[in-house]
Amino acid sequence: MKLTPRIENWIESFGVHIAIADDKGQITIIVAEKTSVDGDVVTVDLSENQRNQIEEVLSKNDYVALAPGQLGAIRAPYQLKGSAHLVNGYLEVEIAEIYCTKPGPEAGIRLDVLGYDGMQHFDESRWTDLAPVNPS
Amino acid sequence: MGLLTNEIKDALKVVGKGGSVVHLATSSIDGKPNIVAERFVTSYLDDYILIADMFAQKTKVNLNENPHAAISIAHPIGSRSWVFRGPATVINIGAAASDTWHDINVGQVLAEWGDWAAKEPPLEVPPDIAPPKVAQRGLIVLKVEEIISSELKTSGNKIS
Repeated sequence: MKLTPRIENWIESFGVHIAIADDKGQITIIVAEKTSVDGDVVTVDLSENQRNQIEEVLSKNDYVALAPGQLGAIRAPYQLKGSAHLVNGYLEVEIAEIYCTKPGPEAGIRLDVLGYDGMQHFDESRWTDLAPVNPS
Repeated sequence: MGLLTNEIKDALKVVGKGGSVVHLATSSIDGKPNIVAERFVTSYLDDYILIADMFAQKTKVNLNENPHAAISIAHPIGSRSWVFRGPATVINIGAAASDTWHDINVGQVLAEWGDWAAKEPPLEVPPDIAPPKVAQRGLIVLKVEEIISSELKTSGNKIS
């Protein structure tokens, strides 16, 4: 599912926290600062330590969950899930599920089932900050 | 002596008290992860992290089938580059006061943190983010058994 401009803008500005789980359900989190979005693929620039940390786990379970980092944790309440693969040292995640995680009655709403136009309408009807102001 | 130092405890507070939003990650038993940002957070005793269960849905489903969880600092400024891992559970409002989980007495922890919005109201949360009504269902508790680095160059290294 192609990401909306709002989701794209926020995760490209503030990176993502990536949850990965092994085949026994043991979970950990990777904090990535640099991400880019192309359609439904999120590409994450990992350090060598981060690649080593997740390589074996990904070989057994490639499904991951992402959430925007830094200020995006507050102002961009989304969760993205999909299959991830290491490609030329980068982590590429093909997004299959998108959820709203805004605290309140809309927490947990699955957005990707709305379709791209529906997700854009959802964003534009609820937010005025379609991109971060002065991200740094 | 627990794993949570005073520096860590300072980070594990609500934003209005100088702490940070955290990310809570859980997983289904078959390895499908879930990660959500949480504002209501505090350390408890010397080895526990509490998060208010306000609107957790998948998190609770996951913890009911797989107790493993992890917590990261959403904005890891300075040295706050930590990921906390260990078993976690949900203590629901109304649970028997005499119940225990590891070193935690359910009655005591709910008496102190069962009405979090009254204790630490989300005054710093912008109005377009704040929920229209804060409805706490309970507490999510993680027992910190391991702290690892989330800093780029040392990510995954065990801190304690």
